[in-house]
Amino acid sequence: MARPTVQSFLSRFVRPLVAGGEIHVGRPLTVEDVDAFDHELPHASVESEAVDDARAAVLAPLVCRVPPLLLERDDLALAAALHNTLFLVHPQADGVTITDKMRRRIIDMTQALATQPLTRRRPRVLGRHALLHNVFDLARTDLQLSWWTGRARFLGQQPPARLLRWKGVRRVREEVSRAGYDELLGASDVAPVMAMLLRRTPLTQVLSTHVAAPALHWEDAVFLLRDAELARLVAYHAVAPAAAAGAGALGGDGKELVATPARLAAAFEQMIERNPPAADVRAVAAFLVHLGALLVLGERGMREVGARSPLLSSVLAPERAGQRPRGLSTFFALPNALAVVEPRLAAPPGLLDDPVLARRWQVHRTQAAEAVGDAVIETLAQRLARHLGGQPVDPVAAVSLPGAPA
Amino acid sequence: MALEHVAQGQSRFMTPGVAPDPRGVLLGRHCLLLFPTLEGVVSWLRLYSSEASLDELLSGFEIARVRTALHSREMVVRIPALSSYACDRAARLVKLVGGSIYTGTSKHFVKYRDERAPYGYDAVDIGALPGGAEFMLHGDDFSQAYTREGEVPIQRLLFRLTLRRIPGATRLGPDERAELVLAVAHGLGDGVIRYLWRNKVEAEIGLVTPGGGSAFDDPGADRSYLLFRVAHLPERILELFLGTPGIDVFRQVTANAAVAVGFAHPIELSSVGTLLPQTGYHLFWPGDRVDVVPAPLELSRISDLTRIDLELEAAEPQPVASATAVDPVGVPLRLAPALGSPRRVTATLVPLAQSAWLKRLIYLLPPSSLRGHRVAVTDRGVLITGSENVDIVPLGQLLSELSPGLLVPLGMDIVPRVSAEVLARALGHGSGVLTVFSHDGAPFQLSETSLVPLERRSLARMEIERAEVTDLSAEAVLDPSVVNDPVGRFALWGFPTAPDRKLLPSGDG
Repeated sequence: MARPTVQSFLSRFVRPLVAGGEIHVGRPLTVEDVDAFDHELPHASVESEAVDDARAAVLAPLVCRVPPLLLERDDLALAAALHNTLFLVHPQADGVTITDKMRRRIIDMTQALATQPLTRRRPRVLGRHALLHNVFDLARTDLQLSWWTGRARFLGQQPPARLLRWKGVRRVREEVSRAGYDELLGASDVAPVMAMLLRRTPLTQVLSTHVAAPALHWEDAVFLLRDAELARLVAYHAVAPAAAAGAGALGGDGKELVATPARLAAAFEQMIERNPPAADVRAVAAFLVHLGALLVLGERGMREVGARSPLLSSVLAPERAGQRPRGLSTFFALPNALAVVEPRLAAPPGLLDDPVLARRWQVHRTQAAEAVGDAVIETLAQRLARHLGGQPVDPVAAVSLPGAPA
Repeated sequence: MALEHVAQGQSRFMTPGVAPDPRGVLLGRHCLLLFPTLEGVVSWLRLYSSEASLDELLSGFEIARVRTALHSREMVVRIPALSSYACDRAARLVKLVGGSIYTGTSKHFVKYRDERAPYGYDAVDIGALPGGAEFMLHGDDFSQAYTREGEVPIQRLLFRLTLRRIPGATRLGPDERAELVLAVAHGLGDGVIRYLWRNKVEAEIGLVTPGGGSAFDDPGADRSYLLFRVAHLPERILELFLGTPGIDVFRQVTANAAVAVGFAHPIELSSVGTLLPQTGYHLFWPGDRVDVVPAPLELSRISDLTRIDLELEAAEPQPVASATAVDPVGVPLRLAPALGSPRRVTATLVPLAQSAWLKRLIYLLPPSSLRGHRVAVTDRGVLITGSENVDIVPLGQLLSELSPGLLVPLGMDIVPRVSAEVLARALGHGSGVLTVFSHDGAPFQLSETSLVPLERRSLARMEIERAEVTDLSAEAVLDPSVVNDPVGRFALWGFPTAPDRKLLPSGDG
């Protein structure tokens, strides 16, 4: 089979990966292929500019000023790694002529491609996110075709026209199904590759995820919180899933609204089990408290300032304690725990200057303490104290903040 | 000997149910015709129908498959013994086709008369029928019992017989061409109509759908075709039609049956008229096809179906302002001052020279006036008419309505003052026509349809520019969908191993 050209790779795989459309997966690519792509890239200016334009269009709603983006070798390598990962679920990658050794070689090659330097440079972070922002939305249309004498399954492929002829006579039946991230990229043998790949684009992992995706490592992503614009982007994205999930997010019981904060808090739980720098722990903790303050801000217009929060009543209901998403208790218990360990982080600066917000914040804290229990707050405070170096104080004093208006 | 000859004047017989007819010939209620095969039956029917009417035999007529005790099968035709004359004809024809004839009433049938026994035969010994037998035939030297196996309805037989091709029968004489039937496929209908019309052939046409389709037919298939009844078709056209695929020519043989020209039905259809129901018109096609279409045929003249070229898009002629010449019966019509009370103004005739004023006035007219006025531009001026409760435009020569559609100048009347009907007839005035008398020139007429609402007429043609709309919305993002390209069975053969590279360090911090 002829070696793929960079033009076809960009136009048939990379650009649809960025802008949406049909992503064509063909023969797996090697490091030599990517080197050749990099060499030929100056001769594929039309295709590479189209990819860069698409990446700029993706970033335009996220940041005020999109940095100039230029497709580079590491972008090509990451895209090739994703291509190879998708090839592993290609129907012809699992035939009688394919041995385990061959698959192992592809996985090794994919890992070699995904082994690109981690980056904290803003333009490169944004560029990689724009390149891979659709990775959790990848889907494949599968067709189960049955006729009077047999059946066949076509995974992301068009069936031959002869199988679709005389539908009535041959009793042809078509069943279309969609394979999502978990079927395409969630298999156990490709999970390490995906973890490696997603680690290279922390913004993507912070902004979106999938239940079958690798967990977020805050150590890789905490630098995002030190960039005010990106931190604001992540925060608003985290508490506004309604934009993505539709009206049901706010119209339902609020589970959708706290899903992302809970996920980020769960990653925080894992983070404080390790030995991260204290500054990183502080940054993430302050960020999560800020998210909680945004939820309080959403209730500023309530008629009764001192009324219990419907959101907390719903998501922290005792009868649904067993169904709480992982990290949710930590998310709501964190301000109370920080009030014990590090009071400066327990409330966002300036929040308590507004009497209405301060009252709502107090209500939230009290309600959260009732719902999650003192034991959870105390345990969390002890674990935080290990990193922040503070001495725990009485949690009861923490939830009744001094100086808050009645 | 199982039979004995009937003597002249003999009145008592061993065979039950038989009696001498007025001629002394022994007859039962029925005659049984015995044939070895069905072909014999058909041959007999063919012969008999060509000589006499089968209709009179059809009451009690029956064709049955019978079986002897030794399981040999034969065909039996039962006909009513109407008279010894009819039976004589049947007997003659039966012998001609190799069958035999018997007479009787119910179970015992004896041989019908022949040259040796002019009064017929009587059985010598009538015994009981064997078990299962339905009737017994008594011949010269045998008595044979038969069991009925089944019936062959003559109607079904009639519709299943294949038409015979008659050599030279496609050349029809003038009498035979006096009335022909054409079955024409849809696509040829227009052309055939035009062709017949051009050649001045009288014809009628109808769209027919044969009944009794097969269960295997496509449910949506249209089986209809055009049926023409053509009178005095010229021979050259007949030859043309016979040679044209899609056109089949039929010769009418009875009031409700027609057979394809060049073919003949084995049985004379005119003698079996009762078998062809009056509710259907039967078309016997070559190739064992019989179409039954609803009868009587409701056909339309082709002269009413010739193509009409409608030019709806063509420009409508300008309103005609032709003045009709007044019939000089006696005195000419004149306008004279009216004697009665003044009439309401219903129209005005604005000279073309004042059309600019009218245009300016249109800008000032209220919407109700614009809607209520109708206008026609003629070479005699702009005629504006108003409906009820609408004041007319105060321009030009005001007109009032003398009678419906007859407009005269306000305050004038037409003399001599004849009745409206007489006046209308004299002027050629009628409904849908406006006749306008004016002070200058002869009266003129125009069609009422040439009047259009002023609202519609008042707007001049405007050049409308289409503005470009700039879409400022963000481009819709499609969902990424994985499509697996074919890579071949051996695409991975020779796939290299990964280079032994160490993980690169974090490059830029």
